[in-house]
Amino acid sequence: MAATSETTPSAPESGSPPKRRPAGPLALLTRFLALREGSIIVVTVAAIVYFAITTNDYLTFGNFKNLLPYFCFLGIMAIGEVFVMTLGEIDLSIGAMYLVTPFAFWKLTEAGIPLVPSVILAILIAGGFGAINGFFTAWVGIPSFVATLAMLFFLDGLALIVSHSEQITTPGTEIVGVPTFAQIFGAGTYSELIWMLGLGVILQVLLSLTRWGVYTVSAGGNRLGAAEAGVNIRLVMLRNFVLCAMCAGLAGILEGVRTSSITPDPSGSAQFLLYAIAAVIIGGTVMTGGEGTVIGAILGALFIGVLQDGLVLKSVNANYEYLYLGIAVIIAMTIYVLVRRVRRGTGRA
Amino acid sequence: MPDTAYAGEQIVALDTADDDVLRVEHVAKRFGPTTALRDINLHLRKGEVLALLGDNGAGKSTLIKILSGFHQHDSGSMWCKGEPYAPRSVQQARKAGIDTVFQDLALVNQLTVFQNMFLHRELTAKPLPLLRNRAMRKRTRAALDDIGIQIQSIDLPVARLSGGQRQAIAVARVISGEADIILLDEPLAAMGAKEGAQIIDLVQRLRDSGEVSIILIVHNYIQVFQVCDRVNLIQDGVITFDKPTSETSVSELNEIVVEQYRRARLEAQRTMTAEVSVDAARAAVAGDEGGASAARVNRSGSADDSPGAAPGE
Repeated sequence: MAATSETTPSAPESGSPPKRRPAGPLALLTRFLALREGSIIVVTVAAIVYFAITTNDYLTFGNFKNLLPYFCFLGIMAIGEVFVMTLGEIDLSIGAMYLVTPFAFWKLTEAGIPLVPSVILAILIAGGFGAINGFFTAWVGIPSFVATLAMLFFLDGLALIVSHSEQITTPGTEIVGVPTFAQIFGAGTYSELIWMLGLGVILQVLLSLTRWGVYTVSAGGNRLGAAEAGVNIRLVMLRNFVLCAMCAGLAGILEGVRTSSITPDPSGSAQFLLYAIAAVIIGGTVMTGGEGTVIGAILGALFIGVLQDGLVLKSVNANYEYLYLGIAVIIAMTIYVLVRRVRRGTGRA
Repeated sequence: MPDTAYAGEQIVALDTADDDVLRVEHVAKRFGPTTALRDINLHLRKGEVLALLGDNGAGKSTLIKILSGFHQHDSGSMWCKGEPYAPRSVQQARKAGIDTVFQDLALVNQLTVFQNMFLHRELTAKPLPLLRNRAMRKRTRAALDDIGIQIQSIDLPVARLSGGQRQAIAVARVISGEADIILLDEPLAAMGAKEGAQIIDLVQRLRDSGEVSIILIVHNYIQVFQVCDRVNLIQDGVITFDKPTSETSVSELNEIVVEQYRRARLEAQRTMTAEVSVDAARAAVAGDEGGASAARVNRSGSADDSPGAAPGE
């Protein structure tokens, strides 16, 4: 009888699809895959299992600590980008934001402002650049791809000019030993992890359980409809670009403090931009907008970290790293697309 | 007669009643080079259901969007319950008690039924402004039950509902709100006969309550006579006809529309001929066989039945 109810012929194309209710363990599996983050979990676990089998010291605490610097700052960049990509927009300037904000922090401390206020001001400056992205996208009407591409070049140039193309020592890390400031802002072993998880929880709540989140989804899903319902689309776009830029700026400062030096290297930050966008997409945020997940983006960053760390552990030539990453992204996305078809059949979106 | 009128055109003069909740005087709206509304005079009495009829592109939706605060009019004035009314946003219109079911429904596919029901009127907790999903679910269920629309689950994204169900949710969202003036822009367009009847039934119930005033855009004359108190016809950016439904008939409305079509067709032919004769004159000056080509084009022009209605919706 259950089989016949699966194929209700009267359901129109745009209408409600018939409900499938698989029994037993299959039901649990479908339930799991029905999660927006289902596919990235599958792929990440598969990668961990693979490295655990093929290397000796993979599943050790030491390796876990090695893994953290690979993905925590990426995760922070990615969760900000989720808010922009859920709008159906993209922010290409987060790499440059990551690059320039630590220099702003440095300049502020040079001007005699104490460390913590300098960090806060530098992140606010990043937010200001994000507001400019939002202004040109939402008010002037330049596609976000173009507006933030311009911002990318502008900020890369700014970072090189401010630094005179020279590496500097991060303020607050010059003292021998690791002072409390540095412990908190990136240099502590778990500092970046705690920042990422803390922000991740706050931003996931923001996305799922507040008006801000609902408006973000609605502006990405049906911009005209959301406007007709009364949502102030421009304001939603503006604040999401600001949030995204501030996350990237924070990630830049944390990494600057962790490595105790800041290098004006636009090609490195461009790499992080692409990694962060990859993390968002393989995490389950839809590029066309209307669907996003903060947890998925963190898992996406974790996956990239697992892959990089595992390949280092396997002593794979660095040139192969990109090749494997490319293959892995395609596999992850293929699983994601296939899983989405399963999801459509489960009554969840 | 206002100077905006075309030759031979009848424009409804300003009419008012003591119990008007909404009054629109000489409202005009342009979108760049396109004139969507030329001179709109309209009033809505308390508890009344006003049918707004008109061809595609005549300006119905533009008028609705101005009343709902989505667009702003260029000139003219509006009054809502005795107060000057010029909403800058949908939000302001809602504060004045005017809410709208838009033609495109304004639903977000990715959001669930109850999230759409409460879009931009979410219930939030204090002090942390988190969404009160449980309360919103409960109220959504009650509102849908009240209307009598069957939805499998209010936790489904609306993308998975049928056209009629989506329309029902858009209507339910507005009706379950606080508004006492409701604008319905083709609420029956995607509905089957049964669902459509349910919505008409609902409009009837609202009318019987006497508390809510409604402007309804529909195309089906049967429904107009079933549920509406008065009919306004909008043609080419002006209102050309205003009568209580008790004083008009399906055949009279049909006659007006047929007459409008005839005139539009004649107009199209005349423009076409005028353009062609200019072309012919130019061609003749250039020593071309202008007359023959003009005749040719003219014939194809007559075959064109385009009524030449103004775009802008």
